[in-house]
Amino acid sequence: MFSGLHSGAGGAVGERWARTDARAKVRGELRYAADQPLRPCLDVVLHRATRPHALLESVDVEDALAVDGVVAVVTGAQLYERFGDALMTGPAFSDQPCLAVGKVRYVGEPVAAVIARGLVPARAAAERVLVDYAELDAVHDVDAAAAGGPYVHEELRPSTVFGDLKHLRGKRDTNVNYEYKLRRGDVAAAGHDAVERGGVTVREEFWCPPTHHVPIELPFTAAWRDGDRLEILSTTQTPSYVRLAVADLLGIPLNAVRVRSAPLGGSFGAKMYDRLEPLAAALAWSQKLPVRILASREEAFLLTTRHGAAVTGSMTADAEGRIVAASADVRYDTGAYADVGPRITAKSGMVAAGPYRVDNVEVRSRCIYTNKPSAGPFRGFGVPQVTWSHESLVDELARESGVDPAEFRRRNLLREGDVSAVGTPMHSADFVGCLDAVTEAVGWDTPLERVDGRLRRGRGVAVGIKAVLTPTISNAVLQLNQDSSATLLISTVDMGQGSDTIMAQIAAEALCLGEGQVRVVTADTDVTPYDTITAGSRSTYHTGNAVRRAAEAMRDKLLELAAERFGVPATDVKLTGDGLVSAQTQERVSVPELLHGHFGARGTTLTTEANFTTSWVPYDHETGQSERVTEHWFAGAVAAQLTVDTETGRVHVEHLAVAGDVGRAINPTLVEQQLTGAAIMGIGHALFDQLVFDEGQIVNGTLLDYQLPSVLDLPDKITPIIVESPHRTGPYGAKGVGETTIIPLAPAIANAVRDAIGIRFPRLPLTPERILTALADQEASK
Amino acid sequence: MSALELETPVLHRPGTLAEVCALLAELDQPMVYGGGTAVQILLKQGVLFASDLVDIARVPGLDRIEETAEGLRVGAMVTLRRMETDPVVRRLAPLAAQVYARVANPRVRNTASVGGNLAHGDYRLDPPTALLALDARVELTSAGGTRLVPVREFFTGFQQTALAEGELVTAVQIPTQPSRAAAFAKLSSLSVNDWPCASAAALLVPTGRRRERWELRMGLGALAAKPEYLSLEVPGGAALDEVLEAAQRAADQVIDPIPDVRGGVEFKRRLGLVAVRDAVRAAWDLAVQPTAGSTRGSVPESAREEDSDVQRTSQRRWWRGR
Repeated sequence: MFSGLHSGAGGAVGERWARTDARAKVRGELRYAADQPLRPCLDVVLHRATRPHALLESVDVEDALAVDGVVAVVTGAQLYERFGDALMTGPAFSDQPCLAVGKVRYVGEPVAAVIARGLVPARAAAERVLVDYAELDAVHDVDAAAAGGPYVHEELRPSTVFGDLKHLRGKRDTNVNYEYKLRRGDVAAAGHDAVERGGVTVREEFWCPPTHHVPIELPFTAAWRDGDRLEILSTTQTPSYVRLAVADLLGIPLNAVRVRSAPLGGSFGAKMYDRLEPLAAALAWSQKLPVRILASREEAFLLTTRHGAAVTGSMTADAEGRIVAASADVRYDTGAYADVGPRITAKSGMVAAGPYRVDNVEVRSRCIYTNKPSAGPFRGFGVPQVTWSHESLVDELARESGVDPAEFRRRNLLREGDVSAVGTPMHSADFVGCLDAVTEAVGWDTPLERVDGRLRRGRGVAVGIKAVLTPTISNAVLQLNQDSSATLLISTVDMGQGSDTIMAQIAAEALCLGEGQVRVVTADTDVTPYDTITAGSRSTYHTGNAVRRAAEAMRDKLLELAAERFGVPATDVKLTGDGLVSAQTQERVSVPELLHGHFGARGTTLTTEANFTTSWVPYDHETGQSERVTEHWFAGAVAAQLTVDTETGRVHVEHLAVAGDVGRAINPTLVEQQLTGAAIMGIGHALFDQLVFDEGQIVNGTLLDYQLPSVLDLPDKITPIIVESPHRTGPYGAKGVGETTIIPLAPAIANAVRDAIGIRFPRLPLTPERILTALADQEASK
Repeated sequence: MSALELETPVLHRPGTLAEVCALLAELDQPMVYGGGTAVQILLKQGVLFASDLVDIARVPGLDRIEETAEGLRVGAMVTLRRMETDPVVRRLAPLAAQVYARVANPRVRNTASVGGNLAHGDYRLDPPTALLALDARVELTSAGGTRLVPVREFFTGFQQTALAEGELVTAVQIPTQPSRAAAFAKLSSLSVNDWPCASAAALLVPTGRRRERWELRMGLGALAAKPEYLSLEVPGGAALDEVLEAAQRAADQVIDPIPDVRGGVEFKRRLGLVAVRDAVRAAWDLAVQPTAGSTRGSVPESAREEDSDVQRTSQRRWWRGR
């Protein structure tokens, strides 16, 4: 037990080391994927569908081929002829062709790919592809799609990646591609009982709109054949997944596909699983041409989105203010292709009742096809959408019960050892500590000047819970160089979260290495070992554990080599910052001397490797229960103090306090930046960030119209707070943090607005227009 | 199809105004290129079609701000940032300086040009609100010569201006601001940095033989298909509420919002009236303050910060929690 907590002697973990890439980024010297030197590649530009749902009667590429500089124009039909059903890819369902085959399912779906010498002819030719459509009825609304036709897919096609989806194969006449159910206790009876005895029930229809990730670096993929091998350079968070997906698509061995990633300029889930890679691979392989695809900003909006989600939620408290029952009917709009939507549906359904002790829970969470661009992973993995529901409901429940919303939560939050609604016990998830930290930071119990001219002031709080992706696999290979520098080979992708720095610190800890002594190699499947994904805040814990093990194995090797040299038992040798020392003889040797002596040469390397794999107990299909559904939990809380301008409807956040239980902060500065960054992204989702569709067409798919928080939208003050309750198997007690504060952010803001003006907003975002309209309605009903 | 048709616009960088005019007269579909902040985005989005870009950055004299008998003459290539910071502009037309300071962000203001901004003709532009209230005139030059168009006649419709084929904006003439009682309000509905949803510049000019009345001049942005101008007379002894009421009533006649992702018609109308009230209230406060010195004095710092939550945010420290 607690083996992870014994510290290495190193003095690396817990230090605020500077980001390894900070200097290069600031100086503009860092090479992102599209900046890397490549062999000359042809440019690919796509002709995209103009209909949300239609059969492709014909795709005429003749005019496009006639454009000077065009080398080839490829259609989905051609690729299907070549690759067959392998063309259909996706992490959960094999339902998405990289070019439409026979049918288009959303406006903007790629129909034909132009390969040309340069972007100018490629673009011109793409406009000259002529498509005849036979339009089909389209379905845009998630509830209409759940209720019946038209059907986006003829039949469900679960992929082979997830065995538990097998039973869905071949299912027809439905848009619901996955349903997760959670049953615990008896919601109806418990609710009825409580209300009979003076308790309260609240219920509401909630809505979170689709949003987009908007990483500043645009998606890019280059691919070319090298004989019987395919090489890919891509902006991807999931190089190991991409290698497998491409090998499956092309029907070639894993070692015939090389996938390199590069430092990413942001991603947030936008650059994972199947994005541009299947298309680039299929084109390069079938045409025997080197190709590159750079998505434009407008195209990036079509590649993937965050799920819009409707939640019908209810919660009941008894007369003593204990939550006794909670229910949620969650409908995720996954768009035309499932992507990882089914996983999102389950992952969020598990926590739809919130981080509370509730004995009676009923959740139904569905993933539903519509004729929109596909929705996929997004920082928070669907959980912010259900948190929007449970944290709004809890707030109302507290108010109805006449209890302070923070105090009400405190009474009901899960504690260490409690069993969550999904049946898995809690560990290293200090919700109360997070709640206390943020409420104290904003002065929750101090008096508030509520009216300030036309401004109304309020405070709000919210708590969030999420389970880490389980099971997953990580590997690390560590080379200790003779000069005592180290080279760490992992497939974690640094996309701004600072993983290269964190992993270096973990490796350095056991080996007593200093800042700058460990270099992390950028993911390259020819070189770096398998890692499930860089996503879901999983890397610090999982890859970090593999790295820790590899470093400890390296330390043990050094101890053995030194023991041999000193002629003492290995238990007598100690590794310090100055090298190795025998306690018995006080003999010393530096690492360079030791390795030089061992190999008889300078410049040599000593290698260790380690694996870290987590396991789970799959949840029951009827009850959703599992005694071990996840390796660990994320716990976070947000408190906000803000003003609402009653004339303009604008919300201004005065103070935002955000806390996350990270187990142990490997690098407190990077943790604070993650807590803060996720919160700022969440401010956008709370106040104005949304994708607007009209009959399946994105209305605001440019950065002129799609709004992100600017520096002027930031709160007057942001207080990031690190809460540490070490995880028994985390590397030095650590867990991840990337998503923690985005999860409860929007409801914290909405709860503060509720506090300020007395109005509950069940639909995000809280735009000035929504607020002004609600204020006018409130005035009218007085 | 030929390779020619595929080419991106040809860039010209003439060194004299005469060359510019000649190019504009002879080229097929020329576009004048000033700071490029709008042109580049529109080109990238594929919604701007031009055979040629005529960059006027090398034309001498276009980046000059001159003090004239009536006020200011501002060259087309003067950056928005200079309008914000130049002492002469701040002295003679403080409302203009105040409004230019609120366009987009410092990066854009450092690059965008006064002439290009006007020629863009977008209904949501900030500078026209001030220029309308100040009764500025736009100098338009072509191979045929130069003509002056009052800015109040310059905007002719949705993204349309009085610029004729072959013409470019070469300067803006701004009369000295006749009163220090002026203010600007700008409201956005999404990100603070977004295009405005409503903006209003208000200027109160004393009129009448004994200066017993005020002429309230207002320029409105983002509230109709083009920047709009209106003016009304206000008795000197009027109460603030009466002035606000009159201003709102007048503005309500002019406001005709375009609904979009930033809000519907009713919301924008309401926001427009808030912008009008905020601007007029701030201007009125200055008008009724006991005056020290001449009416050519600049708007005091406090008045500039009156208008909305936007201004306050610039003083925020966002990382105080660290």
